Amino acid sequence: MLQLSNVTKNFGGLTALQNVSFPIKEGTIKGLIGPNGAGKTTLFNVITGVFPPNKGTVIFLGMDITGKKPEEIACLGISRTFQQPHLFKSLTAWENVMLGRHYRTRAEFFACGFSSPWARREEKMIREKGLEYLNLFSLVDKRDRIANKLPLGEQRYLEVARALATEPQLLLLDEPTSGLNENEAGQFKDIVFKIRDMGITVLVIEHHMKFIMEVCDEITVLNFGSKIAEGSPQEIQHSPKVIEAYLGAEEEID
Amino acid sequence: MDSIFKDKNKLAWLFVTTGILILPFILGKGYYLNVMNFVALYSIVAVGLCLLVGYGGQLSISHSAFFAIGAYVSAILCLRYKLHPLVSIPITQGISALAALGIGAVVLRLKGHYLAIATLSFTVIVEILIKEMDWLTGGLNGLPSIPSISLAGFLIDSDWRFYFTVWPIAMLFLLFALNLVDSRMGRIFRAVREGEDIIRMFGADIKRYKIKLFITSSIYASLAGCFYAHFVTFISPDAGSIMFAIEMILIIALGGYTSLWGAMLGVGSLTLLNEYLAVFAEFKRAIYGLVLIMIIMFFPNGLFQGLKDSSSLFFQLVRQRRNNSASA
Repeated sequence: MLQLSNVTKNFGGLTALQNVSFPIKEGTIKGLIGPNGAGKTTLFNVITGVFPPNKGTVIFLGMDITGKKPEEIACLGISRTFQQPHLFKSLTAWENVMLGRHYRTRAEFFACGFSSPWARREEKMIREKGLEYLNLFSLVDKRDRIANKLPLGEQRYLEVARALATEPQLLLLDEPTSGLNENEAGQFKDIVFKIRDMGITVLVIEHHMKFIMEVCDEITVLNFGSKIAEGSPQEIQHSPKVIEAYLGAEEEID
Repeated sequence: MDSIFKDKNKLAWLFVTTGILILPFILGKGYYLNVMNFVALYSIVAVGLCLLVGYGGQLSISHSAFFAIGAYVSAILCLRYKLHPLVSIPITQGISALAALGIGAVVLRLKGHYLAIATLSFTVIVEILIKEMDWLTGGLNGLPSIPSISLAGFLIDSDWRFYFTVWPIAMLFLLFALNLVDSRMGRIFRAVREGEDIIRMFGADIKRYKIKLFITSSIYASLAGCFYAHFVTFISPDAGSIMFAIEMILIIALGGYTSLWGAMLGVGSLTLLNEYLAVFAEFKRAIYGLVLIMIIMFFPNGLFQGLKDSSSLFFQLVRQRRNNSASA
């Protein structure tokens, strides 16, 4: 589904990503882990077109999307959430999700301004779809609340609902469980499975090891911008390189 | 039609429109009609500006320039090329749209204060061009004897007749704006205001939307300018002064940036004050400055919105106190 080949990204003298290559298979949940500053979020930004890589290619569904603009890539079916929820703060929860429907709908200036019948029908569908996705996260009762006023956990849910509303083929989740308690993280696990069962491929960045080991089919480990390991959760847990770079250090602190 | 009755905004629109169209039959002819005509003209500009500044978050000080372009282009087309006003007005909108496209494509790359300064310079340039190109615009003397709009021999030259021309148009443009902000497009405008980088991740080509919004908003101003020219039948460079642009921003601030009704109310109250309160008219500029600073400091969501919020807070406090004393 997605194939990264030799992706390199420099910021001035700093190499954030170096020759990173890995595939994501359709219908799977892929994990992306690594210590802070390993380049995980940079990789998301490269995939979604926030900044183009200096070298290498990103192929999505057989199409080269390297260097395309974020809005073009979004329209091809890649959606994402952010490490810190990036909601449209002063808009309501419902409106946030409705914005996710944007590129799936067509009414423009004149159709909207003259309130043409088909634009009204489309608007009704946008509203219904919006409720549908809010319902997945039990947010229907809070649909008219301002997004910024929701608790962090619900803001995260809302972000995922908004991303799902675009009906993506690939969903990128950037640390979805940070700031959630153990119980909420457990619920989120079920949500990720539900998303996969909807036929959406998932790439997830996470520091929460229990979560990632239980959820992912396959895991890629980054350290200092390079891929150091790839494999099933079991393989990763027993890889000496990973333990040295990452898991080992964290277990000692714990 | 059924949607009109479900929607609060449209119901209000229906009432207000009916009220405004009945008003002259109750009050009869008088000077107030002239004042109301200017309220209608300025409210078209204010509604357009509210879309761009309030909803889209693009602070632009170019609306007096587009007002002037509308007035001058239509006047020149009528006077020099002997076009009928009904022909010149649509042509003028086309020219204004092209100007807005050209300016918008360049300046909308900028954000916040930079955009405000860039649009302000455009306004200054237009004002200077109007003053200096006296072979075309009449320079400081302005352009006199612009023909009134006529429809099959029926000349719209009195306050009474103009009232029933300009108010329906103003209300229809308000309806268009109300529909627009309550739709897929309205959400995009507000999302652009919240964060351009996020909305791009949802497949919206914001550069295009910003330019379209800028053109729409400029057409509102330019159309008002056209009607102004054909109503007053005389224009001078004052029509497009920077003061006018700032006045419009003040009106949006009064009304609460994202309230089209607030913009209408702002135009109404400011024009009436200006007309009927001599003290106000004399110290206009000083008062504007002071009021704008106070609004920005104390009511960042706009004066009317701020008053609404603080009054509801006040009632909440009163209710709380009453409950407390009841329980004690």
